[in-house]
Amino acid sequence: MIYIYGIFIVFFSLNIQAKEYQFGDEVNEAQLVPISKILAQPEAFLEQPVTISGTIISVCEKRGCWMELASDARYEKLRIKVRDGDMVFPISSKGSKAIATGLLSAINLDLEQSKRYLAMLAKRKQQEFDPASITEALTLYQLVPTGVKILD
Amino acid sequence: MFAISGIAVNHLRDWNPNYSIVRKVNIVPSLIGLNNETAIVDVMMNSFDVKQRIKANYWSSENELKVFLDDGSNLTANLMSGAIEFEHIEERIIFKSLNRLHLNEAKQAWVIFSDAYALMLIFLATSALFMVKGKHSPRGRKGLLVLIGFLIPLFFIFYS
Repeated sequence: MIYIYGIFIVFFSLNIQAKEYQFGDEVNEAQLVPISKILAQPEAFLEQPVTISGTIISVCEKRGCWMELASDARYEKLRIKVRDGDMVFPISSKGSKAIATGLLSAINLDLEQSKRYLAMLAKRKQQEFDPASITEALTLYQLVPTGVKILD
Repeated sequence: MFAISGIAVNHLRDWNPNYSIVRKVNIVPSLIGLNNETAIVDVMMNSFDVKQRIKANYWSSENELKVFLDDGSNLTANLMSGAIEFEHIEERIIFKSLNRLHLNEAKQAWVIFSDAYALMLIFLATSALFMVKGKHSPRGRKGLLVLIGFLIPLFFIFYS
């Protein structure tokens, strides 16, 4: 019986120590583009393979299916999104650096969806929100990755 | 393994089966109006008596600074309200490992093993229908249990 406990302890210890993660294919660091450059002209990068890097600032709490990387410019960020289960990003990696290669995609919201989306963000941040202040529909950009590396 | 993780994952809406996330908020009036980043970080760390190494900082807006700590926890300061939120994240190591296997997040070898295991379960269930003879066989009163076994999933498929 003691051997079984020993095997469990070794396996779970290895699990704790694994701080670097690799998901999907290898990332292509030769295609590295600053997030600020992508967000300044997203149309120029749409549906093209690009590599981005940045500090992980938030992660999907339920399924680990998305995370947001901080841009090199202040207040900016870019979301990485995968289909549920394709990659599972650990919440505990917040604050670590990630590198991701994938295709940039656009989500075009209509005006009503834009208001709901911004209202949801405001509610999450416990800020006041006036839907009437939104007069233009939003386009959200996100990277659909083929490979992600999370560094310690 | 599948049974334990199954219960955990069934209640995904009610709890996080992979992580324990605890959030605490302190209101620190002296934070309001501070504009020196080092001073802000000091107030944030002292507010929750945090001694860990800082991994990274991020300004999400002019008035909101996030500080990420070595163990995956983080602090968020709102310079308008003086609110500091401490988010402590701890992995549920055993559940997380079991859920990872259950949800097929592991490599292909696990899929082969779990398929083989599922086939053995199917064999176990179907062979039991023919192995027991006499009054305890499914042809007798115990057949009612087999029938219920079919009816319950059918009920949820068609009426829920």
